[in-house]
Amino acid sequence: MKSREQEYREIFMAEALEYYDAMSRHISELERNPTDEAALNELFRLMHNLKSNSRAMGYTQIGEAAHHMETIFGLIRSKEMTFTGLVVPVLFRGVDTIGEMIRAVGEGAELPDISQLITNLDRLVQGEEPILEDDSDEDDEDANRKLELSDLVYIQIKKLDHLLNLVGELIIDRDRVLTLSREIGNPALATAAAHFSRIADELQYSVMDARLVNVGSLLNKFPRVVRDVATAEKKDVELTIVGEDIQIDRNILQIITDALLHLVRNAVGHGLETPADRLAAGKSAQGHLTLSAQTQRDEVLLQVVDDGRGINVGNVRRKAIERGLVSQEVAANLDDDAVRAFLFEPGFSMAKEVTEISGRGVGLDVVKLAIDSLGGQLRVDSVLGEGTTFTLVLPTSIAVKGALLFELDARSYAIPLMHTDSVVSLQPTDFHVVGGLLMSRVQDENVPVVPLRNLLHNGDGPLPPAVKGELTGRQDIIIVNYSNRKLGLIVDRFLRQQDIVIKPMSKPLDTIDLFGGVTLLGSGQVCLVLDVPALTRLFLAKRP
Amino acid sequence: MPESEKYSKQEAVIQLIVFRLGEEEYGIRIEQVKEVTITPEIARMPKTPPFVKGIANLRGDIIAVIDLEERFQLRPAGEELPAVTYTLAIEAKDYTIGIMVREVPQPLSIPVSIIEKAPEFIQDLNIHDKYIEGIAKTEDRIIVVLDMLKLLTPGEIMQLQSKGESSAAAARTKA
Repeated sequence: MKSREQEYREIFMAEALEYYDAMSRHISELERNPTDEAALNELFRLMHNLKSNSRAMGYTQIGEAAHHMETIFGLIRSKEMTFTGLVVPVLFRGVDTIGEMIRAVGEGAELPDISQLITNLDRLVQGEEPILEDDSDEDDEDANRKLELSDLVYIQIKKLDHLLNLVGELIIDRDRVLTLSREIGNPALATAAAHFSRIADELQYSVMDARLVNVGSLLNKFPRVVRDVATAEKKDVELTIVGEDIQIDRNILQIITDALLHLVRNAVGHGLETPADRLAAGKSAQGHLTLSAQTQRDEVLLQVVDDGRGINVGNVRRKAIERGLVSQEVAANLDDDAVRAFLFEPGFSMAKEVTEISGRGVGLDVVKLAIDSLGGQLRVDSVLGEGTTFTLVLPTSIAVKGALLFELDARSYAIPLMHTDSVVSLQPTDFHVVGGLLMSRVQDENVPVVPLRNLLHNGDGPLPPAVKGELTGRQDIIIVNYSNRKLGLIVDRFLRQQDIVIKPMSKPLDTIDLFGGVTLLGSGQVCLVLDVPALTRLFLAKRP
Repeated sequence: MPESEKYSKQEAVIQLIVFRLGEEEYGIRIEQVKEVTITPEIARMPKTPPFVKGIANLRGDIIAVIDLEERFQLRPAGEELPAVTYTLAIEAKDYTIGIMVREVPQPLSIPVSIIEKAPEFIQDLNIHDKYIEGIAKTEDRIIVVLDMLKLLTPGEIMQLQSKGESSAAAARTKA
């Protein structure tokens, strides 16, 4: 695997060479038609981009040359200078020199001396005659100039999507072939199947890898957003960005863009206080906002951390009761995490006033939906007076998901690991019946437990009140976690953990949100993939 | 096609796939049928009407399979389909769906002219859209010609869906 730095350098090189090609083309156009504004604008833009990129990569010399060139093209554009006379050869020489420097960077060679060029460009700016050397030998070199093609190709994301879909199909077939080869038991077939399987795996990871982009490509758009929101809200905010080089599937980044924008606006608009309020609370006048990315196993954690006023759990609790989301008695017993989970309910906004920036009637539920659609998790932690942290747990890739396979009524089902907290096996004596629900203590927490069969096959009515006597023998339970809420599901049998490729549910059954899709097992069997958010909602709606 | 030869050449002929539901014969225009296969293994799908038998893997496509005998109550309650059934994969508007039938469906060519409109009162019976295209009478057979595109709209298939939590949850998701 190449180092990150090397990868950046390759990208820089590819872009720089492309800029150089475009510069050469446009300057030739400009020579033919010195008033060609399109070419002039393009040259100005290319110089500017090259300047920024080179400086960011630490190639100050290229940046310097591009900067001086940019100045001249700017003057020509504003009609303070014309592309005539001695200006022409100097600028041509400038473009050539930039090309030489870029190639030198690519070869790791020493950069050519540019003092002569800079002097000449400066003289042009000051309206003096440039000093042109006799450059006959250089012309020879130019005549033999090598033509180079870039090492990078641009590719439409659509094509990568198609590739990924094909790989998904291939993985399903791979499992099928492996299963068949085991059943048939022919050694030659087994060898071929094993080889095929390895290649398919490698292909899958290569395609997934090709789709990865830096989280920074999104995060680095936020300094501007924060500045604008802070200005409008009269806040003083310092933004820190951490982990820009964490990699994630490009489409996932696309899907969470609006969600992240919402969280950041919210943090600046509602989370952070005005400088006066902060000082009164004994904090620094400047608010701190951190956007951070880190990897955790196969997941990417994105956090929006502010040191603002925090979430008042009492207010949320009251509002939840007002809105009829929960009864007063139940609310009184909910812990803070469970109360904060109400923030993600549709239309639940804590903003008292609607401001231009946030609180446009769009609540955190929109954020939640975006994360749910990816099979991710959204968590909120907050300490009153000290700040709030929103954590987005995202899969690195959308193609393959880790899942827990289990059996219910002789059929296989899958549940994404992303929403699986733990699995336990309990004896009937470990259960208590509280309010018509089974309850068990798992890892020092009281978790409601429900037989999945009742939840799925009970028709329309509410769940029948739980009867402990119905439980016989060991109970296999999957604890799922959604919105800070844990729920235990009794299944017939755990099968195994496996990476699965989820196919969306086909029409017209796609209206049943209880299933996130289907997957095909190696045996060719169709396996339904449970959607934990929908299952949790179903449980809440049907509990006795 | 011996049947079609009996009719004059200039008369428009349509090809049907004819299958039996209960005691009667039904036909679908052949262009609406994608393929006929022995019913693959079906995974029961919770929260669907009982006549939706579940989903099956048809050459990598996951399709819903429905039992029209159950949908139209053409089979005495409690009686099950035989162990081996056939599935017609029907190309509906923007998806494929399977229809389970008990006998191998047969092709049949008939002239369009022998398809008579179904009597109005049948059309209105318990039916949202007029999916009986007509009734074809050939010799001693009566074939009910169905318009699958109307029969297999998502609304038609899911109409019996429980109005309970599942749709409530869907409504909340949309909110």
